[in-house]
Amino acid sequence: MTTSTIDLTLPYKTRVQDALGNKHLRTALDRSTGRMAGQRVAAMTAVDGQLLRDQVRQMKEHVIRNLPDLLEELERTITANGGHVHWAKEGVDVQRLVVEIARKANVQKVVKAKSMATEEVHLNQALQSAGMKVVETDLGEYIIQLAGEPPSHIVAPVIHRRVEEIAEVFQRELDMPPTLDPQVICSVARGALRKEFLSADMGISGCNFAIAETGTCCIVTNEGNGRMSSTLPRVYVVVMGIEKLVPTVEDAFLQYQALCRSATGQQCSVYLSMTNGPRRPGDTDGPEEFHVILLDNGRVDMLAKEYGEALCCLRCGACLNVCPVYREIGGHAYGSTYSGPIGAVISPSIHLEVTDVDKLPYASSLCGACREACPAKIDLPRMLLELRRDVVEEGDAPLFDRQSMQAFSFAMGSRGRYEAAGKLGSLGSNVFAGMSGGNIKFMPGPLAAWTSSRDFPPLAKRSFREQWKERQRGRKSIGEGKKEE
Amino acid sequence: MTHKKQFDSPPRRVALFVTCMVDMLYPEVGMATVELLERHGVEVVFPAEQTCCGQPAFNSGFWEEARPLARRFVDIFEPLVRQKQVDAVVAPSGSCTTMTSHFYQLLLENEPAYRERAAFLGAATFELTEFLVDVLGVTDVGARFDGRLTYHACCHLLRELGIDRQPRALLDAVEGADLVAMTGADECCGFGGLFAIKNGGISTAMGQRKAQNIAKSDADAVALCDVSCMTHINGLLSREGQRCRAVHIAQVLTNQVDVAARPASDEVAPESKAAPRRWQDDKVKG
Amino acid sequence: MSARDEILDRIRTILSRPELSFPPVEAPPLTADERMTVTHAEGDAAALARRFGQELEKLYGSYEILSSAIEVRLALINRLTDWAAEEDAARKGPKPETFGQERMVLSWAPAQLPIDGLAEALADMQWQLVAPDKLTSPEALEKVRFVRFGVTGVEAAFASTGSMLVVSGPGTNRSASLLPFRHIALIPFSRLYATMEAWLTERRAAGELVDLLRTRAGWNMITGPSKSADIEMNLTLGVHGPKYVHAILFDDTRPVISEAERAEIARLMALDDDE
Ligand code: SF4
Repeated sequence: MTTSTIDLTLPYKTRVQDALGNKHLRTALDRSTGRMAGQRVAAMTAVDGQLLRDQVRQMKEHVIRNLPDLLEELERTITANGGHVHWAKEGVDVQRLVVEIARKANVQKVVKAKSMATEEVHLNQALQSAGMKVVETDLGEYIIQLAGEPPSHIVAPVIHRRVEEIAEVFQRELDMPPTLDPQVICSVARGALRKEFLSADMGISGCNFAIAETGTCCIVTNEGNGRMSSTLPRVYVVVMGIEKLVPTVEDAFLQYQALCRSATGQQCSVYLSMTNGPRRPGDTDGPEEFHVILLDNGRVDMLAKEYGEALCCLRCGACLNVCPVYREIGGHAYGSTYSGPIGAVISPSIHLEVTDVDKLPYASSLCGACREACPAKIDLPRMLLELRRDVVEEGDAPLFDRQSMQAFSFAMGSRGRYEAAGKLGSLGSNVFAGMSGGNIKFMPGPLAAWTSSRDFPPLAKRSFREQWKERQRGRKSIGEGKKEE
Repeated sequence: MTHKKQFDSPPRRVALFVTCMVDMLYPEVGMATVELLERHGVEVVFPAEQTCCGQPAFNSGFWEEARPLARRFVDIFEPLVRQKQVDAVVAPSGSCTTMTSHFYQLLLENEPAYRERAAFLGAATFELTEFLVDVLGVTDVGARFDGRLTYHACCHLLRELGIDRQPRALLDAVEGADLVAMTGADECCGFGGLFAIKNGGISTAMGQRKAQNIAKSDADAVALCDVSCMTHINGLLSREGQRCRAVHIAQVLTNQVDVAARPASDEVAPESKAAPRRWQDDKVKG
Repeated sequence: MSARDEILDRIRTILSRPELSFPPVEAPPLTADERMTVTHAEGDAAALARRFGQELEKLYGSYEILSSAIEVRLALINRLTDWAAEEDAARKGPKPETFGQERMVLSWAPAQLPIDGLAEALADMQWQLVAPDKLTSPEALEKVRFVRFGVTGVEAAFASTGSMLVVSGPGTNRSASLLPFRHIALIPFSRLYATMEAWLTERRAAGELVDLLRTRAGWNMITGPSKSADIEMNLTLGVHGPKYVHAILFDDTRPVISEAERAEIARLMALDDDE
């Protein structure tokens, strides 16, 4: 089968090469990211989008500044609502906690709504090794689970696959008759997944935000799988990063609207599902047990290492959709649960096992489109710059980079050396240019990475400063002449 | 962020921060900048000690290597402004202006004295089109261009400095220019400094997308405000054998760009005829 | 030390560092006065009802606006009848087994619906309103598994976005607006607000917002039919939740029954007598 999939464990260079060489992947990305970005712009300009971003930012700054108090408040309110709060320092703690809860409740089958936090801690694998069946229920997640691969986008997990490939998976795994009609594919999924929902013992979801004053865990979905997972099974478990809370109900509705507009360009998602503990006496339906797991897994490190701004992230995916790098290579090339600009920023801090994680801060041209799109106004380019500094300071930069930058700094450090370098370069580059008759089509060493696909101009024969000096000489004599008059 | 210096009376003298790329690769852009400033009554001084602002090192994480260059830059330009020898510093580059007026604040975070001086200097440092339009109040510089012209918004210029209206206003006023729109005009060309080497494949893919959009726009030339992006875009256009070329806005505004006839660079430096072909030569050839 | 205390202590220590560049030391909360209302809607109840309908229609839902509560029963029956006919007409091949659930309508407890006598009116037309006490076991769920239609009221509805808020509680199950393929929401004008912010402000001012949320376990705001764009950005409807959402908005604010309505009642009663 022709796939759009990249092996995440390969080295960064190979992942990127595979992605760039994968026509199907790039078609799929092309078809989707541009459209998502356009829808966001329309939705944000339809309202006072700037004010909305300012207010989200203010609210999130308040949250991070008061994080311990708000977390304690949330713990209190969830407990008072009849829920159980657990704390997890690392991914393995989440695995252990959920497996324990599941064992105690005699769980056989788990349905999951889309959740990046559980992807991050590899919860599915842990539950499966504990003997449970785990079914992803978001349509996109379900497709990639059937295909056996991880999501490649925060909100659109199967963005890397074309409809042809999806149909192939359904024909193989679910005996679907051949069709490319998305509506038919969708109803096949509805039938298959409804069976799973009705027989599941446990539902697991992430949490888009939790309200501290009421202990409400909110999930935002369009399909309704989040509602199903939080309604039908006996046990409902929420796994959330410790930063994903808001102080008040009004804050929740504000962030909700910013999230929907930024993620998919909608005014409102189809469902905003809010859970306040297990079902109450007299309720007809709803889970009888409700657990919330608060996850650190490197988030506090982020704050400590001065990358705390990234904790304002709503996980809307807007920065991915506008990112020209993401658009060329897709999510899998990043090799991390979190891709795109925000992924490059948080992956080095979040406790994930990512091959070549120190390459990610460099996977950006620093064009700034992400910051412009971000509903929380996170300065992603600045953090990428600082992460690069960290890489260098920790001595992880390649030798060539180090040597050339030291040489560069030395050459530029005095006018004499600078001018000499210019002269040498001018001679040297003209040799290469001469060989190719004009522009430079070949350069040696790592610089070949440029000339393998692009020409380079030769240095000017006479630099600006030389021309300027001459001009001034001429001027001066005119000026002097005038003086004499 | 620093607030830009306000002028009670029109500035009369500026220091040119020509940038190392213009100095070594595109002297004609530097000359065009001087010409534009002088034409509007501004005297230009060129502090010959200047080299590079340090962006390549900073941008790739080598802050230790970039700091001496930043301090050096401040030492050269700040006293000129502080002692009122010049009213402002002008650079024909959005990217280098960003580096010196924005990123120095980050780079020199732990050097309060230099940081303060850099902030003072940054407030008086202007990108060329910003200076022409916002400070001098000029939009029509009396330029002429015969052909279809489009505009590429360079990333730092657009998203760090917020400059977009100014170059567009200047181009709007160019007589004879048939201004055409380009899809994705504000999308990155894929240069990104060392990114173009370290992530050559991605960078090329981004550039190819840009080159395609340029081809679709059917423009004869793409004006922009940074020679770094210009180098990258032209590197692709040239490799792909396209006829269109990216040109610095100062070249357009000083009539250096002639899409039909002989290369403009020769007008500035006739003696460079013996030198290898320039971008503009290729265009004529195409 | 527990994981909880370790995490909280560590955050507190970091936040106390004076040189920490983020978050700013001064980080005031958003106040009620400054918080923006994102979308807006204006006008009287009838105008808001129209706006609600238009917004819902944009999202592939449907609506009708009735001038009195008395018309709701008939409108509901008509809607069910039309939908059933639509399904029959669209079906290719034999009718699937529905285990006697074909004429069932999954509903809130009749006392919780904003209209009296709905169960009886439906029964007259051979529709069976089912409002189970418990839907917590696979067996109980099996009994409504093939029900195609759901009927609920709303806690509140918001015109500017076409959203409705439904809440779990005694007699107000979560399933009726979730499990069936088609959902009908009955929305009296008295529960219609211009915006979600307007509702929040009113509840907050009344001092009941927090308690309201905390005494009920499951809240859902629903905006249109279930959908997905996961397959190459193609819109697909009815992925898990209802594919069809129909809102019946009606004016419940007028105290007396109009002449026209009196006539309508007489006509309906005559229909009953005929049978
Ligand atoms: S960083 Fe900003 S744009 Fe990116 S996912 Fe987070 S909130 Fe959205």
